[in-house]
Amino acid sequence: MNTSSLRSAAVLLTLALLTLGSVVLWQHITAPRITAAEQQLKAQRWLSLLPAQRYDNQPLHHPLRLPAANLDHSRLLGGYLATLQGQRSAVVLHSQIQGYGGPLDLLIAIDANGRLMAIKVLQQHETPGLGGKLVEPGNTWLQGFAGISRQNTADTAWALKRDNGQFDQLAGATVTSRAVIQASHEALRYFDEHRQQLLSGGADE
Amino acid sequence: MNSRLLAILMAPLLGATQTALQACVIALCSVLIISLHRLCMTPLRKMLAGTTGLLASTLLAASLVTCLELGLRAWALPMSLALGPYPALIAVQCLLFEYVRDDNQHWRSVALTLAAFTLLCIAMGLVRQGLADVANLRLASLLPGALILLGLLLALYNRVCQRRAPSRRQGTL
Repeated sequence: MNTSSLRSAAVLLTLALLTLGSVVLWQHITAPRITAAEQQLKAQRWLSLLPAQRYDNQPLHHPLRLPAANLDHSRLLGGYLATLQGQRSAVVLHSQIQGYGGPLDLLIAIDANGRLMAIKVLQQHETPGLGGKLVEPGNTWLQGFAGISRQNTADTAWALKRDNGQFDQLAGATVTSRAVIQASHEALRYFDEHRQQLLSGGADE
Repeated sequence: MNSRLLAILMAPLLGATQTALQACVIALCSVLIISLHRLCMTPLRKMLAGTTGLLASTLLAASLVTCLELGLRAWALPMSLALGPYPALIAVQCLLFEYVRDDNQHWRSVALTLAAFTLLCIAMGLVRQGLADVANLRLASLLPGALILLGLLLALYNRVCQRRAPSRRQGTL
């Protein structure tokens, strides 16, 4: 090995150490900022389904303990409690159900009276143009669920019209529509069955 | 050489220009990282030749792009998510720029290519966002639409700016 190759090896090694060091340092500097930004973004996305005047706490800091979260068709992955002036005003449940193209992640907001406030799709793998219409801007199908509860809608009516229920379906996306209806019905039922626990002291600090 | 370099820059040009803002950010990042990479490689090139030079270039590109990604995540997380993998792909552009380097006129030609890229990027971003928002043409915001638009923009450029070019030059920039 001659001196020139030794020299280039030394230069390369120095460069490697320098670049690695600066990347690690930069990572160290930006890490807290990245965590904060991620939390902020998550809060923005998750809480967009609650009207701002309905809560004044930070629901993501109040996760709920969900016992027996495996429901018939769907699974509850998490829940958060929203309060307004100390009163418990709403619960946000994160539900996952099998859609047409893969798991469908929904956020379901339920008010203290057991009425659906809003449904939001967190993640989906549905067919673009069919089930994917669910997340297209301007699609109002999900808005039709607002205000529905098990009190004003009998359990047997929680199905598509073609399945003798009362719900319209998203055109061309029967499986996706069924999944959303099933998930929201099961979330409401879960809420009704665990209402006391969810609304009082069920918070997992 | 310019057409080869523009071909390298195709991926961000098509993938990361959905809105004017995205287009500006990706253009700015590309120009910044490619210039920095070239600036750092200039002294190193004399000391390192062949494989070691390539290794150094790779190392440098990777770390520059990592720093860029971290910075974007920290201060512009929504933008970073919208841009997807394209900021990371700038590393490949750095390497290819290094590979097709022409020693005689390198700074001038690189600057020209980067300027052309920036202009094209911003034009694509403006046109795509305009078509998607104003004309409600969703195709414009999807990738195939971007390819068609890029073709149209280049055709327009050829028609307007290269009128006296011989016919064999048609279709290249």
